[in-house]
Amino acid sequence: MIVESRELKLKHRIPVSRIANYWKGLEQGKVYKSVCNCGKSYYPPRAECVCGNQTEWVEIAGKGVVECFTIVHSIPACFEWSKPYRIVIARFGDVRVMGWCEDEVSVGDEVQIFTAKDGSGIWKVWFRKG
Amino acid sequence: MRVGVIGVGCSKFGVRECTLQELAFEAVMEALKDADLSQEEIDLSVVGCVGTRSYELMPAVVVNEYCGFSGKGPLRVEAACATGSAAIYSAFSSIKVGIAEIAIAIGVEKMTEVDTATSAAIGGRAGNYLWEHHFYGTTFPAYYAMHATAHMAKFGTTEKQMALVAVKAHRNAAKNPKAHFQKEISVEEVLGSRVIAHPLKLYDCSPISDGASAAILASEKAVKERGLDAIWIEGVGFSSDTSNMTMRESFVGLRATRLAAEMAYRGAKISEPLKSFDFATVHDCFTIAEIMAYEDLGFCRKGKGGEFVEKGESDFGGKMPVNTFGGLKAKGHPLAATGIAMVYEIVKQLREEAGKLQVDLKHYRALSHNVGGTGHFAWVFIFGR
Repeated sequence: MIVESRELKLKHRIPVSRIANYWKGLEQGKVYKSVCNCGKSYYPPRAECVCGNQTEWVEIAGKGVVECFTIVHSIPACFEWSKPYRIVIARFGDVRVMGWCEDEVSVGDEVQIFTAKDGSGIWKVWFRKG
Repeated sequence: MRVGVIGVGCSKFGVRECTLQELAFEAVMEALKDADLSQEEIDLSVVGCVGTRSYELMPAVVVNEYCGFSGKGPLRVEAACATGSAAIYSAFSSIKVGIAEIAIAIGVEKMTEVDTATSAAIGGRAGNYLWEHHFYGTTFPAYYAMHATAHMAKFGTTEKQMALVAVKAHRNAAKNPKAHFQKEISVEEVLGSRVIAHPLKLYDCSPISDGASAAILASEKAVKERGLDAIWIEGVGFSSDTSNMTMRESFVGLRATRLAAEMAYRGAKISEPLKSFDFATVHDCFTIAEIMAYEDLGFCRKGKGGEFVEKGESDFGGKMPVNTFGGLKAKGHPLAATGIAMVYEIVKQLREEAGKLQVDLKHYRALSHNVGGTGHFAWVFIFGR
C-alpha cells in the first residue's frame, strides 16, 4: 500500500550579486574566469581568492581542447524540454570549462567557446568544433 | 587501543515496500543479534542517510527512535555515496577518543519513492549545483561517463572491458541472497542495453535500490571483557576533492581515492597491496569506476584497469578478487547503506561465513573503498582478523 506525501516545491532564489559579472558576460557573448594577483586562476569564477584578495575578471578566449565529454540520454527532471545533449569539458590555458556542444567531438579536438540561450531560456556556455 | 567490528546486519537490497525506519530496523536487528547485544548496551548511534529521495527529510531521529536508540546520539552524517564509511568513521573515532565503548553505525536509503527523472536530478546535484547541474543538466551517470571517455581516449580502455565488470558483478550477485539483481548477464546484453550517458549503458550503471546496513563497533577493552570475536579496523584513510569537476587534476582517476589509499596503507604499514589482502570491496557505482579503482588503489598500473578485469585478475582466483558479493553494480547502491554493506560483506568473508561466495583466505585481511560523488569524498578501510 502506498500513501502519497504532500507536495513540496523547492525552487531557490540564488543570490549571485558578488559574481553577477559572469551572468552579464554571458549575455554579451563573453565567458569570464577570475584571476588573482597571487597567480591563481579560477573557473568557475569567484569573487575572492583563497588567499583573501579580491579577484579580477578576465575573458576566456582562443581555442580550447576537449578533455572529456558525454551525451546524456537519461534526462533529469527540469531538462525534459531537451533532446539528448552533449556535455563537454575543454581546457583553455590554465582553466577548464564545461559547456554544451551540438557538434560531434572526440577527446583532443579543438573547440571554440561561445554563449547562447538554451531551450529553457538560460544563457550559458557552448562549444563548436574547430 | 584497537577498535573492532563485533556485529553486522544488512537488509535485502532492491525495491522495498516499507518505510525508511522499518528498513533500517531490519539491518539494526540483524547486527544486534549478530553481536548478541541489546539496544541498552550501545553508547552511541550514528545514522547515515543522504536523503532527499525519501519522504523524511530529517531522518536521523526518526530512524533512531524506531530502532530503539532514543537518547543515544543520533549523530547524522552525510558524505554522498560514501555516507556509510563516514558513519563507520564517526563510530570508530568516538570509540578511539573514549566517548563510547560500543557504537552502532547505521546506513539507510530509500531511493525508489521518487520517479527516475527526479532521482537523476537529485543525483546530478552531487557535484556543484550552481556551476554544473543548473546550466548543463549533469547527472551522476554523466559525471562517470566523462571519466570513461577520458580513460578510453588516453589508455584505449574499451566498452567491452567495462562490460566485463558488469558481467562479473551480476555473476556474483546471483549467488548473494541480499542482492538487488539475482540474474547473470552476458557481455552482449551489456553492450546492447540502452544508452544512459554515452558511453555508459544501462548495465554499466548500478541500480536505484532501497537498502539498509548496520555495523556495531567496540573498543578492544569491551571486546575482551565480553569475550567477543572481532574483525579489527587496521587502517583508515580518507580524502576529498573539488566539488566542481572542471577543477580536478585529471579525469582518468580519482585523486581522493589515491590519497585515501596512501593514508590507509601508511597507517597499516602496507607496501604491496596485492600481497596484503585476500580480496577487496571497491566502489563500482559504474563499471568505469571499478576499473579506475583497481588503478588508484594500486592493484595495477594506471591505464591497465581494463586489462586487469579482462585477464580475470579481479575474479575469484585472480590477483585480487574484487566485489565478490556483486558490487554496487549488481547487489545495489542505496547510497548511505553502501559503505556499511561493504563492511558487512568483509566481516562475513573474514569470518568464513560467506557461503557460496567465500574467498580462500591467506592473509585474513581485506580492504573497503567507498567513494562519495565522483571522487568528492573517498574512504579506505583495512580490516583484519
